Amino acid sequence: MSTTASAPNEFLRPLRFLASLRLTVVCLGFGMLLIFLGTLAQVHLGIHSVQAQYFQSLLIFWSPPGAGWKIPILPGGYLLGTILLVNLIAAHATRFEVSRRKIGIFLLHLGVILLLIGQLLTGLYARETQMRIDEGQTLGYSEAPREVELAVIDVSDPKFDQVVSIPEGALARQGTIQNPTLPFTLNVRRFLPNAHLAMRTQEPQAAPSMATAGFGARVVAREIPRTVKDDERDLSAAFVEINGVQRSLGTWLVSNAIGDPQPFRIDGHTYELIMRQRRFYKPFVLTLQHFAHDRYAGTDIPKNFSSRVRLLDFERGENREVLISMNDPLRYRGFTFYQAGFDNNDKTTILQVVKNPAMLLPYIACALVGLGLLVQFSMHLFGFAKKRSR
Amino acid sequence: MNLAIFDRLFFVRQISGAAALLFLAGCNDDSKITVYRIPKETQPATTPPPAMMDADSAPAVHWTAPAGWEERPATGFRKGSFLARGADGTQADISVISFPEHAGGLLANVNRWRDQLKLAPVTREAEAGKPMPVAGREMFFIDLVSAQPLQPDGSKSRIVGGIFPLNGETWFFKMTGPDQLVEAQRDAFQQFLASVHLAEGAPPMTADSGASTNAPTPPPIEPARGAPLKYTLPPGWREKPLTSMRLASFSAPGPDGKSADVSVVALPGMAGGDLANVNRWRDQVKLGPIDENALQQEAKHLKANGHDYLVVDLASAAPIGEPPAKQRIIAAILDENERSWFIKMTGQEAAVAAQKNAFADFLRSLNIP
Repeated sequence: MSTTASAPNEFLRPLRFLASLRLTVVCLGFGMLLIFLGTLAQVHLGIHSVQAQYFQSLLIFWSPPGAGWKIPILPGGYLLGTILLVNLIAAHATRFEVSRRKIGIFLLHLGVILLLIGQLLTGLYARETQMRIDEGQTLGYSEAPREVELAVIDVSDPKFDQVVSIPEGALARQGTIQNPTLPFTLNVRRFLPNAHLAMRTQEPQAAPSMATAGFGARVVAREIPRTVKDDERDLSAAFVEINGVQRSLGTWLVSNAIGDPQPFRIDGHTYELIMRQRRFYKPFVLTLQHFAHDRYAGTDIPKNFSSRVRLLDFERGENREVLISMNDPLRYRGFTFYQAGFDNNDKTTILQVVKNPAMLLPYIACALVGLGLLVQFSMHLFGFAKKRSR
Repeated sequence: MNLAIFDRLFFVRQISGAAALLFLAGCNDDSKITVYRIPKETQPATTPPPAMMDADSAPAVHWTAPAGWEERPATGFRKGSFLARGADGTQADISVISFPEHAGGLLANVNRWRDQLKLAPVTREAEAGKPMPVAGREMFFIDLVSAQPLQPDGSKSRIVGGIFPLNGETWFFKMTGPDQLVEAQRDAFQQFLASVHLAEGAPPMTADSGASTNAPTPPPIEPARGAPLKYTLPPGWREKPLTSMRLASFSAPGPDGKSADVSVVALPGMAGGDLANVNRWRDQVKLGPIDENALQQEAKHLKANGHDYLVVDLASAAPIGEPPAKQRIIAAILDENERSWFIKMTGQEAAVAAQKNAFADFLRSLNIP
C-alpha cells in the first residue's frame, strides 16, 4: 500500500477517491441491493424487462403509479460496473505495487477486469436468436423471438426476392421511412408493441380502422400492455402507409399475428408487406433430418433430445451431418447452435442460436482468477508451512 | 481484499458490461434497415390478384403527329418523340411518356414542370392548368413560361403539356423549348393532343413487347430494355454487374487499391427532390443537412449532351466507417424524361479524388435515353 509521494496532491486526490476501498464496498453493497430488488421485480416485469431496466442501465427510475414523471432511485448495473472497473484500475494505479509477493492478487484482478470487459462486449455484440426447423425443412436464417421486423419484399424476380427489413426499433419511432432501393416511402402511422386483433364482425362498435388497403380494414387492432411472462410473446402491429411518387397507395395493417404477406403493385413491381419475427440470414443452411426425443424405458421421462441436421455451406464447401444434443452444441462460423426445445409432436426442433464474439473471454477470465487464487493461497500455505517447520 | 473479490464474482456477470454506455450510441444497430436478396423460399404466387390486374391494364394510346414535326425514334422511356423546328434554327422537343403508376398527384407533376422552369410551385389545381376533353376522357392542359431567360440564347423557356390519367397509367405529352417557338407551335400541339385516341379492349401489354411504340414503360427499377445507356468507359473503370436498381454500375480504381463505386440510377418523378437526395448523401458522409439556398450555392452545373446536371461534391470532415477513412461522394442529378437520374461516385476520399476528372468525362459521354 504505497503511494508516490512526489506526485502533486491535487492530481492524486480524485484518483485516491476513485481507488478507495470504501468506494468498492459501497458499490458492492449497491450491487447486492440491485440483485435483490431485480429478482423481486421479475415477478411483475419479467426477466427481459428487468435485465434492461435494472442491469443494462445507468440509473433505475421510479415513478408513482399513473404519474408522468420519474426519479432515479438507484444506480443501475452499467453504472456500478463502470465504477467498479474504474475503481479496480485506479487501485492498481495508486495502491498496488508490482512485486512477486502480489502476483496472485494481480492475476486475480486482471481476471476480474477481463470478466467486466467480456461482459461489456457480450452486452454489445452478442445476439441470441432461435431457429425452428421442421423435419425435412431447410432453413438459412434464425429469428429473434422477442423482436419483430417489417419486411418489404420485391417478389417480381422469378428467382430472387429482394427484402428490405425494417426492424422494430425503426418502426417504434413511427413516421416516414425511406430506403433508396424502394421507389416509395413508408409512413409508419402507428406502431403497437403488443396488440389484440379481432375481426370487425366480432366487434362492430370498434372505432374505424386507419387501414384502407389489405385485410386491415376488416380487423380491429387494440393496443394492450406488453407481456412480462417468459413463455409468452408480444403480437405487434403497425399501420403503414405506402406513398408512391404521385400519391398514397393506402394504409395497411401489418402484424406478426398474421402469417400471410399482403401484396401491392407499384411501378410494375409486386411487393409484399409482412410483419414477422426479425430474421438474421446466415451464409449457410441447416436441414433437419430427424429430431429424437428419447425417454427412459417404460416412462415418459425425457432422457435425451437431439437433432440430426445437415449443414450445407456453399461458400466454404461444407456439407456434413451434425448431431446437436442437449450438451453437445454445434459451433460453426461464430455461431453456437444449442438444442433448446421441440414442438409439433416431436417433428420440429428449436435451436438456440448464439453469436458472441466475446465468448472466450469469461473462460480466460475465470482461469486467471482461479490461477491467481491458487498462487496467492499457495504462497500463504507454503509460507505458513515453512514457519511451522522452523 | 480477497473477500471483496469473492463477493464481486458472484454478481459481476449481472452488473458488469459497464463501460458499455460509452459505446452504446455508436454500436446500436437495432433500428438499422437492412436490404438483402434471397432465393425464393417457396413457389411464388407472382400473379397478382385479379383486381390488381384490372387496375393495371390500360388501353393502348395512339396519336397522330401534325405535319411539319420531325418524328424521332422512340427510344428508352419515350413512347413518342418529335422535333419541331423554328425558322431561326431553334428547336422544340416533343415527348410522349407513360408511367405504369396509377394516376393522381396532378399537382406534383405540374409543380415538377414548374420547377424545370424555375417557377414557384402552385397549390391549387385551378392555378396549374385547365382540363380539356380528349378521347371521351379528361386531359389536363398546361401552359407554362419561365420568368427568367433559361435558353442558351437568352430567351425564356416554355412548356406546354397534357397530363392524361388512364387506368393504371399516366401519360405525359410535353413540348418544351424556347418561348417563341413553343408559342408558335401551341396550336399544332393542341391538335396533336386532340388526335390522341384509345384502343379500348387492347390486350394489356407487357414491357417485353418492346417493338411497339406504345408499349408501357418498363418499370423504372429495371434497366430500360432495348435502350441501354450509352457512355464512354473512362480508362481503368470496370463495369460491375447490375443490380435491380442500377442502370449502370462501375468500379473506378483508386491509388492504394481501394476503388470508388459509380452508379447510375433513375427513379420516376422527382424522387423526393434534389435537396432531399443531397441531404441524404450528406448524411451518408456525416454532414449536416443544408437548405435550398445553400444547395444552389454549393452545387455546380455541368452541361453536356444537352443535359444540365446538378453536381455536388461532398466529403466527410473526419474519417468514418469501418475501417475509418475519409469518405467522399460526387453525384450528379438530372431531371429528364419525367425521371430523376442519379449518377453517383462514392468511396474513400483518395479514390474519389483520383477519379474526379474521369467522372466528369463519364458524365459528358453519358447519353440519357
